[in-house]
Amino acid sequence: MEIPYLVTPRKDTGLFNSKIAIWLFLASEVMLFGGFFSAYVFLRLGADYPWPERTLPVLPGLINTFVLIGSSVTVVFAWAALKMREWRKFQIFMGITVFCALIFMVLKGVEYNVKFHHQALRLKDFTVVEGHLGKEMEDGKPVLNHHGKEVEENLIYVEGSKLTFNTVRFYQPWVDELLTQAEHHHSKIIFTADLTATTKVGEPVEVIAKAGEALSNQMLSRLKEVHLAARSHNAAFRTEALREEWKVAKAENPGKRGWQIASGVNIDVEALAPKLLTEVPSVAFSVEPPVRFSFAPRDIREADGQSRLRDDTVVDGKLLDSPMVFHNIDAIDFQHLAMNAVKRGADPIAAIENSWLVKNDEFAREAWEWNKVQVAKIEKRLIDEYGLDEKTGKPNREPTLKERYRIGWKDLVAKSDGVDREKEMIKLKEEFLGPDYKGREDKETFPHLSVPREQIGFASKFTPAWNTFYALYFTITGLHGLHVIGGALVLAYYLFFGRKMYLENPEWLSNRVEVGGLFWHFVDLVWIFVFPILYLM
Amino acid sequence: MSSHATAHTGHDAHHDDSHHDHYDPGFIRKWIFSTDHKIIGLQYGITALLFLAFGFYLMMVMRWSIAYPHQPLPEWMSWIFTDGWKARWLQDGKVTGETYNMFGAMHGTIMVFLGIVPLGFGAFGNYVTPLQIGAPDMAFPRLNMASYWIYLVGGLIMCGSFFMESGSAKSGWTNYSPLAGFADGQVVNQWLAGQTQWLIGLVCLITSSLLGSVNFITTIINLRVRGMTWMRMPFFVWSMLVTAFLLLLAFPPLEAAGIMQLMDRVVHSSFFMPSGLFTKSEGLADLSGGGSPLLFQHLFWFLGHPEVYVLLLPAFACVSEIIPVNTRKPLWGYKSMVYSVLVLGFLSFVVWAHHMYMTGMGAAVSTFFQTTTVLISIPSVVIITAMLISLWGGSIRFTPPMLWACAFIPMFGIGGLTGLPLAFNLAGLHLHDTYYVIGHFHYVVAPGILFGFFAGILHWYPKITGRYMSRTLNHLHFWPTLICMNIIFFPMLMQGMAGFHRRWYNGGDAYLEKAADGVNVFGQTVVQHIDMNIPMSMGAWTMALFQVFFIINLFTSWKWGKKANSDNPWNATTLEWATPTPPGHGNFLKEPVTYRGPYEYSRPGHDADFLPQWIEPKHLEPEDAPATKEKVSH
Repeated sequence: MEIPYLVTPRKDTGLFNSKIAIWLFLASEVMLFGGFFSAYVFLRLGADYPWPERTLPVLPGLINTFVLIGSSVTVVFAWAALKMREWRKFQIFMGITVFCALIFMVLKGVEYNVKFHHQALRLKDFTVVEGHLGKEMEDGKPVLNHHGKEVEENLIYVEGSKLTFNTVRFYQPWVDELLTQAEHHHSKIIFTADLTATTKVGEPVEVIAKAGEALSNQMLSRLKEVHLAARSHNAAFRTEALREEWKVAKAENPGKRGWQIASGVNIDVEALAPKLLTEVPSVAFSVEPPVRFSFAPRDIREADGQSRLRDDTVVDGKLLDSPMVFHNIDAIDFQHLAMNAVKRGADPIAAIENSWLVKNDEFAREAWEWNKVQVAKIEKRLIDEYGLDEKTGKPNREPTLKERYRIGWKDLVAKSDGVDREKEMIKLKEEFLGPDYKGREDKETFPHLSVPREQIGFASKFTPAWNTFYALYFTITGLHGLHVIGGALVLAYYLFFGRKMYLENPEWLSNRVEVGGLFWHFVDLVWIFVFPILYLM
Repeated sequence: MSSHATAHTGHDAHHDDSHHDHYDPGFIRKWIFSTDHKIIGLQYGITALLFLAFGFYLMMVMRWSIAYPHQPLPEWMSWIFTDGWKARWLQDGKVTGETYNMFGAMHGTIMVFLGIVPLGFGAFGNYVTPLQIGAPDMAFPRLNMASYWIYLVGGLIMCGSFFMESGSAKSGWTNYSPLAGFADGQVVNQWLAGQTQWLIGLVCLITSSLLGSVNFITTIINLRVRGMTWMRMPFFVWSMLVTAFLLLLAFPPLEAAGIMQLMDRVVHSSFFMPSGLFTKSEGLADLSGGGSPLLFQHLFWFLGHPEVYVLLLPAFACVSEIIPVNTRKPLWGYKSMVYSVLVLGFLSFVVWAHHMYMTGMGAAVSTFFQTTTVLISIPSVVIITAMLISLWGGSIRFTPPMLWACAFIPMFGIGGLTGLPLAFNLAGLHLHDTYYVIGHFHYVVAPGILFGFFAGILHWYPKITGRYMSRTLNHLHFWPTLICMNIIFFPMLMQGMAGFHRRWYNGGDAYLEKAADGVNVFGQTVVQHIDMNIPMSMGAWTMALFQVFFIINLFTSWKWGKKANSDNPWNATTLEWATPTPPGHGNFLKEPVTYRGPYEYSRPGHDADFLPQWIEPKHLEPEDAPATKEKVSH
């Protein structure tokens, strides 16, 4: 059996099979990216926070645009070379194409990496602070977690004296982490009294964990098994008992509906008790001596006295001061705060000056005062350039929300350099990689800041979690990146493993390259949309 | 007559060379990792039937909870679970609200994504489409195989989550955010949460149907045999073509939504999470907010509505093949049916928000979608009317498949007509999320679409196995199923109008407690209709019992069924009957040529009452108008 029209086009349609397929596939891809672009429009129009405009580095994005356009050209050259049966030329052009894909992904990787290490913080009053967190230190050395990695200074500290684990839901890596922390402080997590249970019907109570036994994942797993076995056993008996009760109830209440008698049908718990086993849904350990445990904020619902981890582990103990400590801050943003103030009819300037940050941090106060002077200068320049409206007497152009209320890292550079905001001196390296913190350390361009826990509204790295713009940015560019990788792999396959096919059936190979090239053009086209909507608008 | 029909399919020494080469790839390559569209079709069919059975079982448990909410699940239904599972998910043997939600979500998901679509599009489409256009196989056989396996993996991932600590997805088959974003939030490793597994499974299913639809469309465009012009294609093929386009274009936006929801769950983004979200268990959500739950609904229903036609069109396809064969009459209005199905396909992309009248989109948007929704009923009615008229004046043979096809028409009719009130904004507001909606779409899917598929199975069974399925067993299957279906679904329409909410896990009991107060409007209507729950549930369980006859029939007939005496046992006209039985690898012994349209029955001036597409005309016969455009060289 042979499938027709693999290589040669069918006469009436003029197409070979895979060409139809790739166009259909691309139609489907259009709908996929269309879904994301619709989401972009929907979320941007409906955003209830100031949409971050032009916050991504344009230069690397622009370079990537040209890299992709260039590779779309070379892939056509590669295809044409194959059609003319010039293998060497094909290799060169296809090589350039794949290399372009590599450049694209490397630039993308650098761009992502910067964001994954950049911290954002929205205070309760909607002031936004951006920067980098300090490292958790002890005696001049960084503290390591149980993976051996350094920890950032954004932790919840609890003076833990007692830990209660849910035997079904405990999360093993977290148990390891607690053990690591206890060990670090030379403390032990142990049972204080024997844990007893009935594990077989009719037999005496048995000790399943002894006093003094230390916490471990193996022990919790063992208790989990005891618990699950008892739970299964008991459930079967309880079910059977309830069925019997219903039989009796129905016989006693002929003609009545189930819902009319349901409240009276209950299991006789006392009669059943001797048949049941002991369930161990949770076990408590004591921490001796109590230790300052630290937890990632997302993992814990903290409260003084008793905090609860997401895996249902309860930590008894005093909640300690748990500030979030910025090693440096590189932006202070009042846009969201101002927007909210306007929404409720308040004066945004007053709201900013009453904000926690401006009131409590001297640097922020200075920066805000400096910013006011700068905004006044911009206002003046705009009036000079564009004049006033003849009827209303108001300026034709005014500073944007961003210009008024955001003090970005370039502004901070200008401030510390003592120059005007619109004349800041940015190094070329900084255009790619963001601020040069080390090089500007002595001028204290990017200061230190410590934020008490109760002021924190929402904190995140510049990841999809930070806001819907970054969520869209990472999802769309991530998916596009996967397309680039996929396309590049296919094209590289033709480049490195196509020789045999070229010798056997060169037309087939050139068809495949054509199809691959069509896909590559699509990938390019998507970027042509992605770049302006995410980087420029 | 039959020798006449198979004149070209016999072993002919001159034409027997390349197509009948020795093909023996071994058991694994032949039956498991097969690239043959027929085997893949059967794999799809069997897998889908198993999933349907599982989905049916979930529903039986739910019906228990509705009929007897305070009583433990009886032994005959709960024996399938392990003790550990029962201890986790049943409370003293009773179905809990959480378990009910889990079963409800998975019942819908399984039936729609893992049952009906793979059965209609995957099984019938795969088996029959290439045969009907005279192709040796699909255009991309290996892609076809991949499509099946990705579907299976996706299905297993979704269903496997039943056995995880978190349980499976529990936010309805529509998986609305923010509920779906929060469900299973307590699980630390989100990749091991049922709600996340649902999304991963969904992405697999979408990938599978993408590969499938690309393959189908390419095959239909490029692999039609000589003489098979567009207007000579059986209606079945047209339906599959439109179905494939719907899958190709409607699924990706849901994939986008699925990926975004996955991001919401795993990396805590806020695509669908609004600002200031507060829950009892979590307090103020630790999320940035700023997202839009409505966006998810739009993206979901942009797939969701075309999906309805993805379910329906294969059933239309089967029934419209069976009716002409069994009435010995051409399909009435073939061309209008073709144009209708194309219009239907197009319109199905612009009706989605009629599922969302309750979201407060605004009157203008609602009016637009109300209008398009009413419009789309026109092509549906054209098709169903054409089927009905096709029966008129025919010499109907009530063969087993015809029985099901005849029941399909009124049952689907009820399903379709009960949809009209839902199309209207005002009535929709009242009926939204009630049992009326459940009754409506189950009439479409269960006695409608599934009946079409039973018909299809019975119709093509002799081609697949060379034997008929048993008539007696079929009668034992058909009549009770028809009766039970109506016992289950008709009362739903009444309950729905009385205000029964579709997600009450205890069938309305909770409202009875307050009925006496007289304040609770629901209490009064619930009292009047709650007793219906019991016969409805009984109907569902009884129906399960009678499906056993189908299963017996399906397997025993394979070996012991009455032998079909020719390759074309129904005396049909379309090309699949020109193949040997069962068709070998590569399908046709000799590449067929199509000489005429698909439904040439009872043509005057011919001895036989059917004139197959592949029979060479003996003398110059008057051709259909479109056929003359392309001259067939003899």
